[in-house]
Amino acid sequence: MANVNRAATVDPRATGRGSVVAPAHGLTRNVLSSDRPWLWLAPIVALLLFIGIYPLAYNLWNSFREFSPMLGTVEPVGLANWARLLTDVRVREALGTTAVYVSAALLIEFALGLAIAVLFNAGPWASGLWQSLLILPMVVPPTVAAVMFKVLENADYGALAYYLQSWGITDKVEPLLGGTGRYAIPAVLIPDIWQWTPFFVLILLAGLKALPTDPLEASRVDGASAWQTFWHVTLPMLRPMIAIAVLFRLVDLLKVFDYIFVMTSGGPGTRTEVLSFYAYQRSFTTIEWGYGSVLGIVILLLAIVVANVYLRVFKVAW
Amino acid sequence: MSSAPLLSTTSGFRSPRRDRPFPVAKAALTVVSAAVALLFFLPILWWALASIKPTQEILSVPPKLFGFEPTLNWYRVVLLNADPTAFNLEESGAVGRGSGGGTFYSIPYLRDSFVVGIGSTALVLLLATPAAYALSRFRMRRRKDLAFWVLSQRMMPPIVAAFPLFFMFRNLGWIDTYHGLILVHAAINAPLATLLLMSFFDEVPVDLDDAARVDGATRFGAFRGVILNYVRGGLAATAVLAFVFSWNEFLLSLVLTTNSIRTVPVASSTFTTAFFTEWGYLAALGTASMVPIFVFILLVQRHLVRGLTLGAVK
Repeated sequence: MANVNRAATVDPRATGRGSVVAPAHGLTRNVLSSDRPWLWLAPIVALLLFIGIYPLAYNLWNSFREFSPMLGTVEPVGLANWARLLTDVRVREALGTTAVYVSAALLIEFALGLAIAVLFNAGPWASGLWQSLLILPMVVPPTVAAVMFKVLENADYGALAYYLQSWGITDKVEPLLGGTGRYAIPAVLIPDIWQWTPFFVLILLAGLKALPTDPLEASRVDGASAWQTFWHVTLPMLRPMIAIAVLFRLVDLLKVFDYIFVMTSGGPGTRTEVLSFYAYQRSFTTIEWGYGSVLGIVILLLAIVVANVYLRVFKVAW
Repeated sequence: MSSAPLLSTTSGFRSPRRDRPFPVAKAALTVVSAAVALLFFLPILWWALASIKPTQEILSVPPKLFGFEPTLNWYRVVLLNADPTAFNLEESGAVGRGSGGGTFYSIPYLRDSFVVGIGSTALVLLLATPAAYALSRFRMRRRKDLAFWVLSQRMMPPIVAAFPLFFMFRNLGWIDTYHGLILVHAAINAPLATLLLMSFFDEVPVDLDDAARVDGATRFGAFRGVILNYVRGGLAATAVLAFVFSWNEFLLSLVLTTNSIRTVPVASSTFTTAFFTEWGYLAALGTASMVPIFVFILLVQRHLVRGLTLGAVK
């Protein structure tokens, strides 16, 4: 953004104790005083290459091989695994389920997260306390959260299921978890929303706090209503943070696994089978490692395409 | 709603006279905020209560807030290494052991999670901050492609990355090492840290860099002495997120360790066997592990709240 130009003086408060901009000496001066971006970027690129490149290469190579139960070895199969992808109905179903899951989770978490961030930023008493309480769901490991909600949603002894039934939202025949699976997707979405709405709150609140105040005051002086100021000034200035938060949640959601693995195992039937769970099934349940690798790469490619579309459609400048 | 305070993004102390909402509005805001926070807190309350309930009360419906006999036995085993058989806690007959040979005594798991969490958070901040600054400030060809490549490093599902990483780590002799897990968790968090910090650097006017450099600072001096102070809120948010993702990470921590290192999520999974889940132990460990993180977040919060005062740059 930074479209708001401010005068080019350094706020002495920002540097802690007066203006202490010490000139660097020796090696640091030579290496880091330069504008050569690679020096700044090399460490993280090295880390990502080191951890990332072998799994990618391995899966690419593996996608042209398959475990043969007859021989007990892994044999090259050429393009067979990739051809199989085109005729696999379960892939198509899993794509649809993933699309429903991802878009529902993303929309709800973003909308809720933005609303809560604005609320907490509007200056209630003890906002730090509410904020810290709200972040707590994030520090429950998703595997544990999934176990928690599997109990809470259990038709026989779950507290959430109990209240939903006593309020007449669900019934014994069609509980949240189980039954014919009518509520299966909402059931696995609940822990997701509980855990990851705070992710948006955290990022958007930090973003709101970091916004320059001049444009907001200017807008108010010009007589804009609170809603107009929010819609036309705050929201556009917040766009980079929104873009990053949505982008990362999107990428993570496309790999969603824990809740489904623990709570429904993709069921009932294949009702909640998302792509990464299907990849897991092929790799570890039916021991089709090669095809599992293909599905893993499909998720990677899907994420690349979806992220690119998102960046373009929402004209994210970064 | 009165003039603008509800959606104002200025916190009260900056220009108190103009921005302070009427107490009524502030009280209403507080009530709504508390309600929202408590709604999200309810499952944790249920979990914390479960950790002091005797076995037969844990799953009672509707859940009891009061009227059960509280017990600290779960904590005695989980935190103090008491002998679980002494309390006659288990109905499962697991006798003090979860599946996979782990004990319910969890201080070592908490220690491992903290070492890996803090190590990987420190490492990722150290590497990602200069990278984010460079992506935000330097003109370079293919900058966007590079940023997207960094993002793409988070797209591979752990389910298919786990095995190759296991082979790689076995060959390096890094299975069951802190540095191995720290590197992997830092790599998992690197994309988010880099791009999030980049967007915070983008918010800081380039004028500030220029001013510092006119004053004789090097590029690095301007970065460290001036610009970093303006992204403190971003650094705090990034640190919280990096720590949380490392703390929660399950699959790779499971595959890349055997016995000598075991993080909390991996240990928790051993509390659940195919036939029985040790709710009491699970709840006690979950609650106990939340307390230090809560304190950590409260401490970091200070920077989040104070954030930066770009508005003061006049």
